[in-house]
Amino acid sequence: MSAREQILGKIEPLAESKHPGAFQGASEEFDFRASLAVVGARVMTMAELETEFPGRRRYDKTLDGLSLAEIEVLEIDGEFGVAENGAIWLLEEALPHRVAPFICQHLVINVKKIVPHMHAAYEELGKVNSGFGLFLSGPSKTADIEQSLVIGAHGARSLTVVIHA
Amino acid sequence: MLSHAEASENFIADADRTDWHDETLWFVREKRDKVSKVLPEWEALREHASQIKDHTLANLGEYLQAFEAKAQANGITVHWAADAAEHNAIVHDIIAAQGSKILVKSKSMLTEECHLNDYLASKGIEVVDTDLGERIVQFRNEAPSHIVLPAIHLKKEDVGETFHQFLGTPKGNKDPQFLTEAARQHLRGHFLASEVAITGVNFAVAETGEFVVCTNEGNADMGAHLAKVHIACMGIEKIIPKRADLASFLRLLARSATGQLITTYTSHFHKPREGQEIHIMLIDNGRTRQLADPKYKNSLKCIRCAACFNTCPVYRRSGGHSYHQPVAGPIGSILAPNIDKKANVDLPFASTLCGSCSNVCPVKINIHEQLWFWRQDLMEAGLAPVGKTIGMKLMAFTLANPVIYRIGGSLLRRFAGLLNTRLNPWYKQREMPVAPQESFQEWYKKR
Repeated sequence: MSAREQILGKIEPLAESKHPGAFQGASEEFDFRASLAVVGARVMTMAELETEFPGRRRYDKTLDGLSLAEIEVLEIDGEFGVAENGAIWLLEEALPHRVAPFICQHLVINVKKIVPHMHAAYEELGKVNSGFGLFLSGPSKTADIEQSLVIGAHGARSLTVVIHA
Repeated sequence: MLSHAEASENFIADADRTDWHDETLWFVREKRDKVSKVLPEWEALREHASQIKDHTLANLGEYLQAFEAKAQANGITVHWAADAAEHNAIVHDIIAAQGSKILVKSKSMLTEECHLNDYLASKGIEVVDTDLGERIVQFRNEAPSHIVLPAIHLKKEDVGETFHQFLGTPKGNKDPQFLTEAARQHLRGHFLASEVAITGVNFAVAETGEFVVCTNEGNADMGAHLAKVHIACMGIEKIIPKRADLASFLRLLARSATGQLITTYTSHFHKPREGQEIHIMLIDNGRTRQLADPKYKNSLKCIRCAACFNTCPVYRRSGGHSYHQPVAGPIGSILAPNIDKKANVDLPFASTLCGSCSNVCPVKINIHEQLWFWRQDLMEAGLAPVGKTIGMKLMAFTLANPVIYRIGGSLLRRFAGLLNTRLNPWYKQREMPVAPQESFQEWYKKR
């Protein structure tokens, strides 16, 4: 008997327990900018961005995964931001490569739309299925050495968000 | 192998370090309190997530098959493994087909449970753990001591010394920023070179066939997106029914774990990228047995946030290694006896049954009750240490016989020293109270 049959055969149906359905009663009062500050991201205007990162590269389809390692500053477009936690939904289609937002040294994301919380975020995502997508909230970080927060573990060392909403 | 109590005795021998460990984990628990209390719907979210898990466990077979069908339609290869040995053999076959001798792995408690690294090493394949904390303990040939903070038992001086030895950082440098940068450079080389990447799985969605991996460092993604082959390993309890269900779990997970609003990266793997293979491992390894037992099935609701570790007065003062299991703390203590009763008979006793674990659990597992159930089951199975069996029988006999009870009481009041010996574990490191001259009964008779 295969492991699959063996495992499924051992699972006895339990007493029915209903799926509770969509979550009701989420608070709506969240501030995207405040959350971005908590997760260590910076918010800039386009003008400030020009001064800070004049040499940045916008997403360009001609770049492959590995040459991205040489890119200092990458600018991409996010689908929407989530106010409660500063997360930005990124879709594979808007990335030069899946590894792009991780392998660059500094990341800039444009955000045009903001939803209040994660329940609204998944409503926004709906059933659309891309090959890969992620919520990104702030720069890469770790506190694995004595709980000291260090920014820039393996991913981008900084995240700058430009809000166009 | 040392029992939890014996290993704890070694751990607390260093009082300063024990205090630091205790306070640091309590600080994490306080961060959890702060971010959860600002959400008025926190308790409703816990209840929602708990109900989704109850529903999933009641229909686990159906959801596993739905997930498998969707994942396969998305171009992902799905493997099933009844136990750790089967899991390790399948993973090895996939790596061998690729011809790799070295690979990168992000955090996966399941592969710790299966001892995958050791197995692959025996086949001549080196696993490079890429989570910073896991890399540190891997260099030191230790196991993670906490499922979210793997190196929480170490001080920065220890990490500095380890990195000096293995990465050639200057001796005496213990700056976390500097050491993290050294690890970043060291591991980036491995990410770029590895053709196989192994990751864990936080959630797998039956509705869509996608799986979600959460990290703060970005190491799971660096590995998976650069490798030709991505192997994702999960226990069968990681399934959830719908994509929208992720909202409640993601709101609870990071807040409960570290007091963060969400992990930095919450990646949804749906289809392999062009030219890439994705394999998903679905492992039982005792989970179906746990599911079939109404007393213990709720333990399968766990989302591995470790809030129960951080709040536990015993974990904080005994350290993760004292639990001699990949998953330590209160949740580990109710999971481990299911795998091996005899080897883990000490763990359900490594608790004060204060119930704090159950109070912080984001999916409302009745952890402290299950600890108590396990105590009863393990004693009934005759697995109690001899000393404990004799002690309990003596106590039961004494309490059932009023004459013996009175004689015993009067003896101990006069010769309290009889109890204050090394034979009495409660005497160790405690000042015993002074025994009163007369018993309540004697005092009452006089009046």
